[in-house]
Parts: sequence; C-alpha cells; structure tokens
Amino acid sequence: MSDTSLRGKVAVIGIGLSAVGKVPGRSPLSLAAEAARNALADAGLQQSEVDGVLSSHAFASPFHRFSVAFSEYFGIRPTFSNTLQVSGATAATMFSVGAAAIHGGLAKVVLVVAADSLMTGLTPDLALRSLTESRDQQYEMPFGVPVANTFAMTAYRHMKEFGTTPEQLAEVAVVHRRHAARTPGAQQTTPITTADVLNSPMVTTPYRKLDCSLISDGGAAFVLTSAEHAQALGIEKPVYILGCGECYTHEHIFLMPSLTTTGAVESSQRAYAMAGYRPTDMNVAGIYDCFTGTVIMMLEDLGFCRKGEGGPFVADGQMSYGGRIPSNTHGGLLSFAHSGMPGSLFHFHEVIAQLRGQCGERQVEGAHLGLVHSLGAGFATNATTILGTRGAL
Amino acid sequence: MVSEDSTRKPLPAPDADTAAFWRGLQHGKLLLQHCRQCHHVQYYQQATCRECGSDELEHRPATGRGKVHSFSVVHRAPGPAFKADVPYAVLLVELAEGPRMISTLIGSDPKDVTFDMDVELAFDQVSDHITLPRFRKA
Repeated sequence: MSDTSLRGKVAVIGIGLSAVGKVPGRSPLSLAAEAARNALADAGLQQSEVDGVLSSHAFASPFHRFSVAFSEYFGIRPTFSNTLQVSGATAATMFSVGAAAIHGGLAKVVLVVAADSLMTGLTPDLALRSLTESRDQQYEMPFGVPVANTFAMTAYRHMKEFGTTPEQLAEVAVVHRRHAARTPGAQQTTPITTADVLNSPMVTTPYRKLDCSLISDGGAAFVLTSAEHAQALGIEKPVYILGCGECYTHEHIFLMPSLTTTGAVESSQRAYAMAGYRPTDMNVAGIYDCFTGTVIMMLEDLGFCRKGEGGPFVADGQMSYGGRIPSNTHGGLLSFAHSGMPGSLFHFHEVIAQLRGQCGERQVEGAHLGLVHSLGAGFATNATTILGTRGAL
Repeated sequence: MVSEDSTRKPLPAPDADTAAFWRGLQHGKLLLQHCRQCHHVQYYQQATCRECGSDELEHRPATGRGKVHSFSVVHRAPGPAFKADVPYAVLLVELAEGPRMISTLIGSDPKDVTFDMDVELAFDQVSDHITLPRFRKA
C-alpha cells in the first residue's frame, strides 16, 4: 500500500438526515442545514469546528455554488469548499474528495452536505425538464430523450443479451418496498407485488412507473475527519473510508462503449484494490437504484454475481436478508426517497448506520464491511466507496 | 408553472464544430467524420479524431443504413413539448459505418420496433434551418 493511499486515513464520525419525503415549504438550504445540525450533533462537534464543506447542486435552489450559499446560511466560514457535479455519482465523490482533502491537509473537519426539494420545490414537469435539459442540446434533446430513456435502453439491451425478464426487474422494486416498510420515515411503505409493478403504467419501455425511483424532498449530511482526530475526539464508532474508485466512460449514450457493462466494473475494482477486500467480503451494500434494471446491472458490475446473472440473483433473494449481499436495506431511491443528487447520500447513511449497528430490526447482523455505489447520467458517471469498522482496518 | 417556451420543441443551435453537419442534413446528407490517419469514423462532430487526435478529418455522407442496437418507447413525455407525440420510439441506431446515434422512428408503429431491426435514414425538415435525421423501417 503506497503512502498516498487513502485507505483507513479518514473516518466518518457523524451522520444526519433532514426531514425526508414530502416536505413542502422548505428550501434546499433549510433542509441541508437541518441535516448538517443532526450530523454535527451525532459527532458531538460544534459548527465552528467545521473548516471544509462539500456539496452537490440542487435543482430547486438558485445557487450555483451551493456549498458557498450553505456556509453563509449555516453561519460558518470554511477554508475548503466545493460544489461537485458528476450527476448521481456526486455522492460518492464527495466522500473521496473530502477524504483526500483531509489527508492532504486542506481541511481538518469536512462537512459533506446536500439537499434538494424535487417533490414540492419543483413541479413534476419542471423536475423532468431539469433532467432532460442536461442532455446534449444538438444530438439528444431535439429527439425528446428523457434521462430515464437512456437507462431504459441499457436495461432493454440487457434483457435481449441475457434473457433478463420484466418479472426479475419487478422483483427489484418489490424487495426495495419490503425493505422500506421497516425504515422510519420512508416515503413509500405500502407492500407491492410483482403483478403491481407489471400492471403499473408504462413510462419508457421496458420501465413502468414502479420500476422508476421516487421524486422527493430531503437531504443528508456527514462529518469526516482524520482517523487520528476521530480517535482524539473519542468517537465511539468511527466508520473508515477504506477504498474509493471512479470511472467515466462517456457523456453521450451513443458513445457508451457497451450498454450492458459499465464503468462500475473499473470504479469498484479500484475501490476493492485500495481497500484490500473482495466483493465476497462485503456484508452490506448501497447500490444506486434509479431504476430496477440499474440494480441488476450493478450487482453484476460490482462483482456480486456474474455478468448476465443479475436477474436470477435478485429473483433468488440474494440482494436481501439472508442472501449474498443485503442491499439498500433502507428502501433505496425506489422506496425510501430520491431527492436528486442527494439521493445516493441516503445509501451512505444506511450503510454507515448498518456498520455502526444502529439499524434495529433492519440490522444486518455483524456487518463490518460495506460498499456504496453511486452513478448517474445513463451510467456516464460511476463512483464506488468501501467503508468499514475499526475491526475491518 | 410551465412557460410558453416549454411547449416548443428544442432545436439544435449549430456551432463551429457542427455547422457543416447541419448544413449537410438540409441537403439530404448525414455527414460522418472519417479520420485520414487512423480511419476511425465518428458521428459526434469535433475538430479532432477521438481515437488518434489527428485533425485530418474528412466529411463523407453516410449510406443511411443501420440497425437498431437498442430502443425505448416513450410513454411519458419529457416535458410538454413532446406530450402530443407519445408513444414514440427513441432508437439507438448503429450505422453501417460503425458509429451509433440517437434518433426516433417515423413511418411505422413504435410497437413494431425490434432489436437489430434494419432501418434507413429519413430527413425530417422541422424548421427553415434545421432538418433532423430520423429513421424508418428498412
């Protein structure tokens, strides 16, 4: 392991959520500040001890420099700050950039914080448009290509190449809903069956309404500091960043090298290599689940099953309790909440809570190693983080 | 709140990289960039070859033949401008020359699209200055 490796150098010492789901009348800044207060209280730190802030963009906020606007609102004056933008993968990159900044001496305590109000701060049409308009103005937008469509084309191709079925896609939604039913504050908790999914209205083939993630309000925040400082503070259950990896294979869907094997292969391999662990070592996972088929492809590319076997893997119960890799135990973007770029932070919150043994009836017994994978823009962006307890160092 | 503009379909605004491409479409040609150095063919128009970095690119019209590599039939429109069009099939077409491109199907029922279906280019003039490349079943 080289001296520059981030493995075990930085710990997450505080986690917090804002109100999540349908939270009318609250701005993204207000939600972000609530999450940040909760994360700092969890860490036992004062806001004056924060000297670094990393955020992502919020669609319902006018501020291009969200991290800067947040700091003003929160009453702090950080000496390291940025607003990162690699779509859905931004969440994981906030952890790696934050860890690198701490390890490199740019900051001592970094607050990772993001929030958005896609559900009540934007009309549904404007929320969709905000995603459409991130597509290429000359080569994609004139044809009416929603971002869901690019993910749909990858799933469709996966069905053609490997025989993945609509029932297997539906099972992903069913598992997420079952998980959400045990998560306090989850947005959708009413049990669903595969028949419910298959009978829900078509959005863009092969995806129906219940194959698609939610639109929500809410935010999350995390406090990062060096392993040494965490120890000096007497943090009871630090969760260490053990591995990070990213991969960016394309911008346009028509330049995606393969529709069914993504940059998640390389991003996860880099994270596993840094951490010194393999997929089979993971006890729990948070996998970006903007659509059902996305999860099936990611279970393959993250190494939990072989290419093409994601559908049967899910149908066989392997992504839930008692299976090979209990994933999205909070209910994910499909059933817990999806407030845009902060969405993947809910996966971080859940995996870290699992590693701290704080998930009550959702607890995966003895979880000490976890993986979170964030992705976005039709698999254009992929970032993987591996987290572990003191025992996993 | 939906502004009046949001009911109009977005049109491409050609730039220095793409002016010749969009002009070609107005004259019934889909121009691909062929690299004289490494023979790479690219659809996305830019000043250099993405494979070898050479700036010796030559425009040649595509044959217009291709296959459907993947597709998705849109039932919920991305905004008001496309609401009247649903359902419509977005195609990821692999051109005979190699590159892939995004377009939509015209001239037949979106329900009939299949993987590897043969398609051919069709020119759809949508304004005085813009002709979009679309595809119909071959």
